[in-house]
Amino acid sequence: MTTTSSDTEQVPVAAPLVGRPDVNRKRMARLGWGFTTPSLIVIGLVTIFPIVYSVVLSFSAATVTGNGVALNGFTGSNYSLVLSSSKWHYALGFTIIYTLVTVLVELVFGTLIALVLERLTAGRGLMMALLLIPWSMITVINAELWGYIYQGTYGVADAILNAVGLGHPNILGQSTPAIIGLMIADIWKTTPFVAILVLAGLVMLPGDIYEAAEVDGSSGWSTFWRITVPLLRPTLALAVMFRVLQAFGLFDLPYVLTNGGPGTATTSLAILGYNVIFKNLSFGPGAAVATTSALLVLLGCLLSLRTFRVQVGKED
Amino acid sequence: MSDVSMDKVNKVYENGFHAVKDMSLDIADGEFMVLVGPSGCGKTTALRMVAGLEDITSGILRIGGKEVNDETPKERDIAMVFQNYALYPHMTVAQNIGFALKLRKLPKNELDAKVKEAAGILGLTDWLDRKPGQLSGGQRQRVAMGRAIVRQPSVFLMDEPLSNLDAKLRVQMRAEVARIQRQIGVSTIYVTHDQVEAMTMGDRVTVMRDGTLQQVDTPQNLYDSPDNIFVAAFIGSPAQNLYDATVGEGARSIKLGSQDVELPESVVLKRPGLRAYAGKEVVVGMRPEHLRAESSTSTGPKIVGEVDLVESLGSELVVHFTIDAHRVIAEGAVDKDEAAALQSGEGVARVEAKTPVKPGDRVTFSVDIEDMQFFDPKTGLAVRG
Amino acid sequence: MRNRKRTGWHRYINGINISAFFVVLFVGLPLYWLIASSFKTPANLGNSPPQFFPNPVSVGNYTDAFKNNDFGQYFINSLIVTLIATALVLILGTMAGYALGRLPMRGKFTLMVTLLIISVFPAIAVIAPLYLVLRNLGWLNSYQGLIIPYTAFNLPFAIWILRNYMLGIPKEMEETGRIDGAGPFRTLWTIILPMALPGIFTAGIFCFTACWTEFLMALTFNSANQYRTIPVGIAEFGTVFTVPYGTIFAASVVAVVPIGILVFIFRKFVISGLTSGAVKG
Repeated sequence: MTTTSSDTEQVPVAAPLVGRPDVNRKRMARLGWGFTTPSLIVIGLVTIFPIVYSVVLSFSAATVTGNGVALNGFTGSNYSLVLSSSKWHYALGFTIIYTLVTVLVELVFGTLIALVLERLTAGRGLMMALLLIPWSMITVINAELWGYIYQGTYGVADAILNAVGLGHPNILGQSTPAIIGLMIADIWKTTPFVAILVLAGLVMLPGDIYEAAEVDGSSGWSTFWRITVPLLRPTLALAVMFRVLQAFGLFDLPYVLTNGGPGTATTSLAILGYNVIFKNLSFGPGAAVATTSALLVLLGCLLSLRTFRVQVGKED
Repeated sequence: MSDVSMDKVNKVYENGFHAVKDMSLDIADGEFMVLVGPSGCGKTTALRMVAGLEDITSGILRIGGKEVNDETPKERDIAMVFQNYALYPHMTVAQNIGFALKLRKLPKNELDAKVKEAAGILGLTDWLDRKPGQLSGGQRQRVAMGRAIVRQPSVFLMDEPLSNLDAKLRVQMRAEVARIQRQIGVSTIYVTHDQVEAMTMGDRVTVMRDGTLQQVDTPQNLYDSPDNIFVAAFIGSPAQNLYDATVGEGARSIKLGSQDVELPESVVLKRPGLRAYAGKEVVVGMRPEHLRAESSTSTGPKIVGEVDLVESLGSELVVHFTIDAHRVIAEGAVDKDEAAALQSGEGVARVEAKTPVKPGDRVTFSVDIEDMQFFDPKTGLAVRG
Repeated sequence: MRNRKRTGWHRYINGINISAFFVVLFVGLPLYWLIASSFKTPANLGNSPPQFFPNPVSVGNYTDAFKNNDFGQYFINSLIVTLIATALVLILGTMAGYALGRLPMRGKFTLMVTLLIISVFPAIAVIAPLYLVLRNLGWLNSYQGLIIPYTAFNLPFAIWILRNYMLGIPKEMEETGRIDGAGPFRTLWTIILPMALPGIFTAGIFCFTACWTEFLMALTFNSANQYRTIPVGIAEFGTVFTVPYGTIFAASVVAVVPIGILVFIFRKFVISGLTSGAVKG
C-alpha cells in the first residue's frame, strides 16, 4: 500500500482499493487444488491417458510384437476397415436397438412399480431392500442364472414353453429368442433400480401440490400426466441418459450368457471390440471400434449437456 | 473486552462489486452497536470483515486499538453468532459450547466449569447432553449464544441471530440477548434488517444503504432527527409520511398539494436553514403519530385527507388517507411491493382507538408541526442549521 | 384419494397390494431359483421338468465350490481388490469432493462436467491401452493392476456424490469453525467429515458394488487363476461342454450375500445417493 501525504488527503481513495488481493480466497483456492490434484492425477493417468492412447492406436498400423504393440505410423485404414465392416454395422444396430428397447421397457415398468410402491402402506422399506438386490448382483451371476433358466433341455423357461405347447425351442440357440432372452435378463436386473430411482423422485415431490390438484378437481391419470410426470422429468431425463450410456457399453451379460451368439446375433460393440483386440490381436481396428463407441457416447453426453448443466450449475 | 474501530474500510469483490464504501465507525468498549439496512446494503459484509471472514480491500480495522487487518478470525479473539446458528449437529450441546475452548487446549475441569457457567446464564443446564437436532429453535439459538459467550471474547458479532425464530419468540429473545450483553459487557456488533430490532436493542444504531454509512446515532435521535430522507423513511413503523412540498414566501407556510399549512415562527427558528428554501421545493416528513384526528374547529396547522382504509390495532387506529401531494419514496428504504402499494399521495396516521373514522370520510388532521422534518429534495439531506 | 380409509378385507386385498405381490414375484422368483438351485444335487439340477423345491437338500455344491475349485481364493481376491479400491476412492474422493463443493476454485464447472463424462465412458474404450501399459509394468495378474483402474474409474462418481453432500453443508459451519480457532484440516476432520458421513457411506457402497461386480477389466487383466476375482472365477467355471450350475450357484449365493447385507443395512444411503442428483446403475 502507498503512504498518503497530507496534501493528497482530499483525493478519493481510488488507488488503494486494488492494492490488497483477496489473500484468504487465494489460499483457500490453493488448498482446493491441493485436495483435488491427487484425484486428478489418478483419473488422468488411468482414464484420460488411455483414451488418448486409444485414439493414437486407432490411427496406427499397429502390430503385436514380443513386448507389446508397435505403432508403425499413421493410417486411416483401421477406420475404413471398421466402418465398412458388416460385423460393425450389425453390432452398432444391435447395440442401439437393445439400448432403446431395454431402457424404454425399464422406464415404463420401473415407473409403474414406483407408483405401486408409493401407495404401499406397509413394508415399503423391505420392498426397497428386495429391489436393490438385483441391482447389486454381479452381472456374471445374472447371466449364469438366466442361462440355466433358458437351458434347452432342463431350463424352467423351456419347461414353461413346453407346457403351453411351444415345444423345446432352444431359446439361446436362435437369434431372435436369444436377443429377447438377453433383454429379459437385463430388464429383470435393472427395472428394480429404475423403480427405486423414480420412487425416490416421487417421494421428494411436495405433497401440497397434490392436495392443490385434488382441490382443483384433478385426479388419477390427469394428476399423473399433468403433475407427476412433468415434475419428475429432470430425474427421469438424467436416469435415462445414464442408462442409455451404460447400455451402450453392454458386455458382461452377452459375453457370459450367449458369448455374442448364436453366430453374431448378440455381439454388441463392446464384445466386437474385445474380440477384435484380444482374440484377433488386431489392436488398431480394435481401438477404432473402441474409439467410435466412445465418440458415440461423447456425442450423447454433449447432446445432454443441458441436463448436466442443470445438475452442475446449481451454485455457480 | 475492547473497542472496535473501522477507518475508511472498503470491500471490493473480485467481480468488481463495491460492497462497503469508506466506512468509518467507532464502537466503544461494551457498547451494543446495531448495523441495520435493507438487504444488500453491506451490513453483513462489514460484519464479516470485522470477523476476518472477508478480507478488507482497503482501510484499517482496529480491535482494542490494534490493527487486525491481517489477523485470522482466531487471532482477533471474536465470537460470532450466525443466522442459521451453525451448530455442529454431531456434537452435544456441551461439546458445541466447549469446542472453541477445547481447541485452545483448556484443561478439562476448567472447560466443564466454563461450559456449565455459560449454560447457566442461558438456561441450558438441563440440555447439555442433547444434540442440536433434539432442541427447539429457541434453544438452538441459546446454544449459539452460549458458544459465543463461553469464550469471553473481546467482541461479539451477531448476524441476524433472531430471524429464524417465530415472531413471539423473537420478541422474547430480543430482550434476552440485550440482557445477556449487558450482563457480560462485551462490545457487540449486531446485524439485522429489522429496524424494530435495531431500535429496541442497540445502544447506538448504524444505518447503511448501498455500502455507504448513512447515520450513526442513538435510536431516539435516529427517529427524531434523521440525517437524510433514507433514514427518515427506513426508521419507524408504519413508515414516515414523506411528501414533496413548497415553502411559502418568507417561510411562513408550506404548500402541500393544494393545501397551505401554516409554519409557526418557532419551527423556522429551530431550523434556520429553512429560510433559504422560501419559495423553493422541500420534502417534508410527518410521523404517523404526529397527525391527530381532531374536530375541524381546533386551531393550529392542519391537513385534510380522504380516508382509504382504517386498521384497528385495538389500542389505536392506523388510518390510511390520501392527499393531493406527491408522496416521496426513498429507494431501498421500503421494499418494492410496499412502494408499489404506496400510491402517490397516500399517508398514514395513528389515531386514538375511539376516533370515529371510516373509509370515504374527509378527515382533518392537526399536525404536530414542531416535530415535522424537512429535507432537501435534491441532496436528500435534512434541513437544519 | 391417497388418504381414503379402507375397511374390512379391502384393507389387505386391494389393487396396490396385489400389484406389490406381483412385483415381489417378478423380483423374487429368479432369486429364489438361484438359491434353491444351489441346494440341489447335480443330478436334480438336470431334471426335466425342474424341481421347484430342492429334494434332497444338498450342500455338496458349496463344498465343491470351495474345496474342488478355488472359489475361496476368488472371494479373497475380490475382497482385497474391492476394499482397497473403495478405501482409496473414499480418501481421494472426500478431499476432492470437499474442494469442489466448498472451496473457491476457478474452472469447477468444467471439471465437474469432465468428471461426469468420464464416469459414463465405456470401459471398452480404454481397455486395450490399459492392458498394454499394465503389461509393460508387469502388473497383469496382480492386485494393483485392478485396484488402480478401479480407483480411477470409480473416483469421478464418488467425487460427484461427495461434492453434492459437501455443497449441502452451510458455509457458516466452516466459518464458525474458523472463528473457534480450527485450521483448514481440523475443520475438515472434526466438522465437515462428520456432517458428510452419509455421503461417504453412499459413495462407499456404490464404489464397493461397482468393484465387486466389475467383469471386463478383471477378465482382461487378471486371468491367472490365482488372481481371479469372483465374476471372472464364476464365468470361467466349467468348460465349453458342461456348465457346472450347482457350483456356480453355490458360489453366486456366497458372492451375493456380503453385498446383499451391505445394501440391506445401508439402503437408506443407497437411496439417498440416488436422489442427491447422482444417478448410476
